[in-house]
Amino acid sequence: MNWKKKILLSVIAVFIIIQFIQPVHNTSGQVLPADITQTLSVPDNVREIFTKACNDCHSNHTRYPWYVYIQPIGWMMENHIKKGKENLNFSEFGNYSKRKQANKLRSIGISLEDGSMPLYGYTILHQAARLSTEEKKMIIAWVSNTKDSLSKNQYGK
Amino acid sequence: MKNIIIGIALTSIAITACNTSPDKNKDAILVNSADVKEVTESPKKDPNVDGAMREMISQYLQIKNALANDNGKDAANAGNAFVESMGKMEKNSLSPEKKKVWDDLSDDAKEMAEHIGKNGDKLAHQREHFDMLSKDMYDMVKTFGASQPLYNDYCPMYNNNKGATWLSETKEIKNPYLGKKMPTCGSVKEEMK
Repeated sequence: MNWKKKILLSVIAVFIIIQFIQPVHNTSGQVLPADITQTLSVPDNVREIFTKACNDCHSNHTRYPWYVYIQPIGWMMENHIKKGKENLNFSEFGNYSKRKQANKLRSIGISLEDGSMPLYGYTILHQAARLSTEEKKMIIAWVSNTKDSLSKNQYGK
Repeated sequence: MKNIIIGIALTSIAITACNTSPDKNKDAILVNSADVKEVTESPKKDPNVDGAMREMISQYLQIKNALANDNGKDAANAGNAFVESMGKMEKNSLSPEKKKVWDDLSDDAKEMAEHIGKNGDKLAHQREHFDMLSKDMYDMVKTFGASQPLYNDYCPMYNNNKGATWLSETKEIKNPYLGKKMPTCGSVKEEMK
């Protein structure tokens, strides 16, 4: 057996072994009172976009397509979910203070406008997370209106 | 009686807070530039929280000055120190009304300061969070008082001309949003004695 074959075989072996290391799934199955849909009035069209493009990383309910069972794709996905939830978790939106909620909405608008979200690297593989200009506009309009009504209620403002 | 006083205090906060809305004030500022100035008095400082507030204001001002000098690293250090000082707030000594305000603002301010702390290499990102932190800080000063005079400044150009405010210890404008590119852009909106 020459060295090329050895390397190839060990790569295959490593690939097979890592398949057994599957991350724990991010699925709570319940919609809790802190969920954004229970906290704010979210129209159906906005909710659909959230479900399709955002919730996989920004909520406690990830849908797992077949390819995330292949490692290391699943690990990359897990990393996205961890970071995504850290910055914004729609399942726990109601636990944020009112000021934080308003600023989260503002940040959603900014990140859609400047294109930092959805993450380009993520959308290459996860096509459902790609948003059309129309869809982005819909979300931006909704966050802007909702943010204003949220901050209006603050300290009698 | 206590409730009435707090009610009056909150209403006066609300009234001054209304005036800070960038949309409402933008035109006035653009027309009259430096002339528009309101002098207000900060609420009497609360001895129980004065220590924490003093530290937070000082670190906030450090973040502001670092951003005005385009120095993301110093801003990040001050951001981390800010988070630490927030932990020193004696929130249990606050009245229920003030505690509610603190809980609301601190939940937000903590995250903003953390982001500033973590992104020493991303000035634009730090400034985005500084914008939101500044609003929290303004409301904190209006609720808990400050042990020093502060100026609430306004830059009409930041964030695609949506504008942003910041607190400063000096009358002279040092713009933390545009940095060295346009250091003197902006005007004093309110002097808080």
